[in-house]
Amino acid sequence: MKNNKFVAMVLIPSFLFLFIFSIFPLFYGLGISLFDYNPSNSVQPFLGLANYKKMFQDEIFYKSVKNTLIFCIVAVTGNIVITLFLAEIISVLPSKGMKTFFRMILFIPCIAPMVGTALIWKYGIIGTRGGLLNEILKALGKAPKNWGLTTWQMMLIIIIFTLWADIGYNVVLFTAGIEGVPGEFDEAAKIDGAGPVRRFLSIRLPLMGRTFAFVAIMTMANYFQMFAQFRVFVPGGGQNDSAMVLTNYIYRTSFTQFNMGYASCIATALFLIVFAVAMVQNRMMRADWSYE
Amino acid sequence: MKDRKRVIKEKNTYRPYHIIIILFLFLSVFSAAMMYPIVWMICTSFKSNAEIHMNKTQFFPTEWTLEGYRTAMEKAPIGNWLFNSIFITVVVTVIVILTSTFIGYVFGKYEFKLKKPLFMLLLATMMVPSQVTMIPRYMMIMKMGLLNKMAALIVPSMVSTFSIYLAKQFIEDIPDSLCEAAKIDGAGPVGIYWHVILPNLKPAIGSIGIFTAMAHWNDYLNPLLMLNDVEKMTLPLGLVYFSSQRSEDLAATMAVATMIMVPMIIIFLLFQRQFIKGLALSGMK
Repeated sequence: MKNNKFVAMVLIPSFLFLFIFSIFPLFYGLGISLFDYNPSNSVQPFLGLANYKKMFQDEIFYKSVKNTLIFCIVAVTGNIVITLFLAEIISVLPSKGMKTFFRMILFIPCIAPMVGTALIWKYGIIGTRGGLLNEILKALGKAPKNWGLTTWQMMLIIIIFTLWADIGYNVVLFTAGIEGVPGEFDEAAKIDGAGPVRRFLSIRLPLMGRTFAFVAIMTMANYFQMFAQFRVFVPGGGQNDSAMVLTNYIYRTSFTQFNMGYASCIATALFLIVFAVAMVQNRMMRADWSYE
Repeated sequence: MKDRKRVIKEKNTYRPYHIIIILFLFLSVFSAAMMYPIVWMICTSFKSNAEIHMNKTQFFPTEWTLEGYRTAMEKAPIGNWLFNSIFITVVVTVIVILTSTFIGYVFGKYEFKLKKPLFMLLLATMMVPSQVTMIPRYMMIMKMGLLNKMAALIVPSMVSTFSIYLAKQFIEDIPDSLCEAAKIDGAGPVGIYWHVILPNLKPAIGSIGIFTAMAHWNDYLNPLLMLNDVEKMTLPLGLVYFSSQRSEDLAATMAVATMIMVPMIIIFLLFQRQFIKGLALSGMK
């Protein structure tokens, strides 16, 4: 249909809104990053590129970039492998009730706010008193640990927590995707003598292309923004900043140290990293995977 | 479509029974492990702090007590938090459903210049992490005088690009002939939206509603930035605030956590069919 007047009447206010709350802040932030910006001071001295110079010499910044990338790569890969595996198993179950039941159980952690479930883990899993990990160590006859003081183990715990809290979504999406793949293809491959793993990799996975691309892109975009669990587990970045990620570093610099100019500078870096990853992903996902 | 379903069913029955039993057992153990933290939370909320602070810890309370819940009710304005969370979630969800279906309708059913680049721009804003724009957004909300008000969480969320994307995908599937027929009957663009698009969009509305409601109900970052007063907090922010104020009172913290999470879990279990259907649809589009 064509009706340019109506289209303009809807889109102009919508894009104006989008401009104010999504696009303008990007430039506003870029502007702030050139100042020594502290909202409680009366003067905000102009610094030029000094904040950026400082950032490139900032060891914590480099650590946060590294940790953010490690977190995203490990957690997104882990998430997709585990959820595909679970979705495959669930789709094999013979009755609809069983499928619904397991999907439901796996989804329960997603219902709760992540700060809440992170708080449970902080005391119930890695807590020094009565935490599950230390109870296991005790049962094995080893000395209990203060997990908050560990380095890579803490990061691993945060990744495992994130997977626990978040796999429900993708299990639901993938089981729906698997059920949407026509059975004929699978059947034909089976007659040709392909084993279950081969059939999964060469038939069902490529045929779920759309779902797979959606899940991969959304999960990646989501995991770059993960913040709540880092705030709960390691508000200061953890031992030696070993679990400091960019989102938490930006928050700490801007809202606890009130150095908003420098924080905006780090935010710009985060934006560029996400932009680069999105471009790479866009390339990779362009493969034509439709079966229609 | 029916044939397709039958084929899938037959395929499953070919599998040997012992494999299915092993898979079933594996899933059961895995699910039970997934539930451990939730059950731990509920059990701890019924323990006394004296018991928690003893060195020898047990999973189930030796003596079930409501001490934690009593402290929680006395010291935490849970009623306020609950009201704020419900108010913000409901208002934002209703507005987002309207704006996203309307904008999605324009992108899905109308031809105009710059359609593709405008839609790409829309999708691009979806990828920007909220932490990138949080400082400028905070400054803007402050200058608008909305800090510490619920409007600070509602106004910036009224248009959601992800929801527009979802709505557009669903609206494209509605046959053009329906819109044309309504047009011939004299319906204007808004009339077509109201009488043709919306009634055919129930699954999409469910999907968008669930995504939006869950995102705002569970949001922590934005309330953390925008709200200061204890009575004005939302549930997730209130929970963190409470636990930091009473870090030695684990029973009360877990009581607050239980009161926040268990009702939601029950609502989910009651409506899980609609929930899961709504979510699954988003990935198929």
